[in-house]
Amino acid sequence: MKIVVGIKQVPETDSVKIDPNTNNLVRSGIQGIINPFDKNAIEAALQLRDQAGGEVILLSMGPDSYTTSLRDGMAMGADRAVLVSSRAFGGADTLATGYTLAKAIEAIGDVDLVLFGRQSVDADTGQVGPIVAEFLQFPQVTFAETLELDSEKTLVAKRQLDSAVQDIKLTLPAVVTVRKELNTPRYETPVNIKESFEKPITIWTEADLNLDLAKIGQAGSPTKVTKVYAPTKDVKKTVTLSPDPAQAVSELLSQLD
Amino acid sequence: MDNNEIWVYVETVGSRIEPTSLQLITKAKAIADGRKVVAVLPEASTIKAENSLQAYGPDRVETLVDDHFTNATDEEIADALFQVLDQNRPNSLLFPATILGRSIAPRLQAKLQTGLTGDCLDIFYENDLLVQVKPTYGDNVMCDIVCPEKRPQMVTVRPNTFRAEKVTDFQTKVVKASFTFHKEGNSQIIATDPIINSSSKLDDAKVVIALGRGAYSAKNIQLAQDLAAKLGGMVGVSRPLTDEDEFTHDDQIGIGGASLSADLLINLGISGAVQYTVGIKNAKKIVSVNIDKDAPIFDESDFAYVGDVTDFLTALTAQVR
Ligand SMILES: Cc1cc2nc3c(=O)[nH]c(=O)nc-3n(C[C@H](O)[C@H](O)[C@H](O)COP(=O)(O)OP(=O)(O)OC[C@H]3O[C@@H](n4cnc5c(N)ncnc54)[C@H](O)[C@@H]3O)c2cc1C
Ligand SMILES: Cc1cc2nc3c(=O)[nH]c(=O)nc-3n(C[C@H](O)[C@H](O)[C@H](O)COP(=O)(O)OP(=O)(O)OC[C@H]3O[C@@H](n4cnc5c(N)ncnc54)[C@H](O)[C@@H]3O)c2cc1C
Repeated sequence: MKIVVGIKQVPETDSVKIDPNTNNLVRSGIQGIINPFDKNAIEAALQLRDQAGGEVILLSMGPDSYTTSLRDGMAMGADRAVLVSSRAFGGADTLATGYTLAKAIEAIGDVDLVLFGRQSVDADTGQVGPIVAEFLQFPQVTFAETLELDSEKTLVAKRQLDSAVQDIKLTLPAVVTVRKELNTPRYETPVNIKESFEKPITIWTEADLNLDLAKIGQAGSPTKVTKVYAPTKDVKKTVTLSPDPAQAVSELLSQLD
Repeated sequence: MDNNEIWVYVETVGSRIEPTSLQLITKAKAIADGRKVVAVLPEASTIKAENSLQAYGPDRVETLVDDHFTNATDEEIADALFQVLDQNRPNSLLFPATILGRSIAPRLQAKLQTGLTGDCLDIFYENDLLVQVKPTYGDNVMCDIVCPEKRPQMVTVRPNTFRAEKVTDFQTKVVKASFTFHKEGNSQIIATDPIINSSSKLDDAKVVIALGRGAYSAKNIQLAQDLAAKLGGMVGVSRPLTDEDEFTHDDQIGIGGASLSADLLINLGISGAVQYTVGIKNAKKIVSVNIDKDAPIFDESDFAYVGDVTDFLTALTAQVR
């Protein structure tokens, strides 16, 4: 089975703050890490590979620094990585990101399964997986909390909705986005870390992919972020009732309608 | 064709209408400023959810009727919606940020080649531009996002961010949209099991009496239950009380429990931790009782009683008929 796992590198979110004077994100000194949900996607891919054989390929779109996360993912056991990287991809929203990743998956070729995290912990949209599925015309299961091979060409996944649990059967090729409840990601071992430096990272630019340039980067992004700011907390106007309980209750009841 | 309408996706699972869709109809009407509000409803022929939707006063309901919707996949629903929306291209299209909404909306977005902002906490118009307020970095940062050129302007909105209000004088037109259901061969929902979750009843209770660690005594529980019965309401609790024999997780209010939409909430002996207060921000009138005058819960309250829970409950019980 040929499995692609989409990886996003994100800042450690606990340390992201807004500068109250400039209203800009303060990001200095923040480490980039693998989006935590993506580790569950890698783990799921490794388990399926161990069962069915095949190959796990990590795929990311982003700047050169994203190779850090790709190496980490290969240290977990993935076989190789593709980084789609060039200025032309900058400023992409979810639509342009999804389009670019779909084109890269076509270029990888003969992919059976594409796995994503349920959402990133920075922009937090969870939209990239379904968008890629749509561009590739693959069926999808989102927010999967179980995922099992059902036959050579089919998978069964469970997805919990607010008022029901669905069991969904997919015929490959397919896209699945995974929740953290799905599994516990394995640790990197010293041997795997060492090997990860020998595994290849292929870098592709727009010239390597069969792309419509109007659909990538800023040009291909319908949404614009116009403002970034700290959340305001509105403090309510509070009426303080009299300290005598009986008095307090009559004050209250006369003011409630 | 572009038009100036606001469309709201109505999610149903079985005969249950997702409350967020109703909340969005009310919100759409509040910001409409002359624009028509249209509910778009895929459903099986037996469901007839349009009958209950009318009470919330959309100008029109577009029904997509086909019995396959009983068990339709994300792909099939997105395909059906695309057929109707591509012809109409409304100004805006609002989805609940539920699991289903967050799965169908981006597929539809890719078909329509437009923008989508996820998990919004507010939306408002500046002229014909929908300003979409979205939290990021785990709710630590807010941003405003717009989609200047493409239509519809799509958003998913977090559940219980707005209140659903019924209207009395509605004139809702119900129209059957024309489309063809395309069965998708490569995915299939093979089972759907309902989850029985009684905390959803707390979500919808009109009056809630909430007990916290500072109110935990047999006497207070009795007083609160009697009072709730008198007022036609329910008793809820903060998380620490779910460890006690009298309560379960189903009674919990907050981030891991119910999100209230009550008209009246009385907090008794609750400090006001943020994990609790996210569950109460949609309650209309909030009364809080705490012996500590600096308790954070008072910042969220319309009425504050600084004093003992038992004293207050006893006095309230005596005066409520
Ligand atoms: C503050 C802020 C708010 C934003 N809000 C929006 C918005 O509302 N709408 C919008 O369209 N765009 C938005 N964006 C742009 C968005 O962050 C980028 O398009 C981003 O590349 C992908 O979106 P995401 O982080 O939401 O990913 P998600 O869709 O949440 O990620 C889901 C999964 O997709 C995979 N994935 C995501 N990105 C990549 C990648 N670059 N390479 C490989 N795999 C990936 C990972 O497996 C990940 O777990 C916003 C950006 C910022 C900075
Ligand atoms: C990941 C996570 C998730 C959580 N999810 C939830 C959640 O969903 N819901 C939730 O509620 N909590 C949740 N919590 C716990 C939350 O942080 C608080 O610890 C909890 O809400 C506190 O409950 P409390 O206000 O009842 O108790 P306390 O904080 O102990 O407050 C008791 C209050 O009672 C007052 N008091 C004491 N005696 C009296 C008296 N005789 N008369 C009047 N007032 C009195 C005190 O002044 C004090 O303010 C979560 C925590 C974490 C870490």
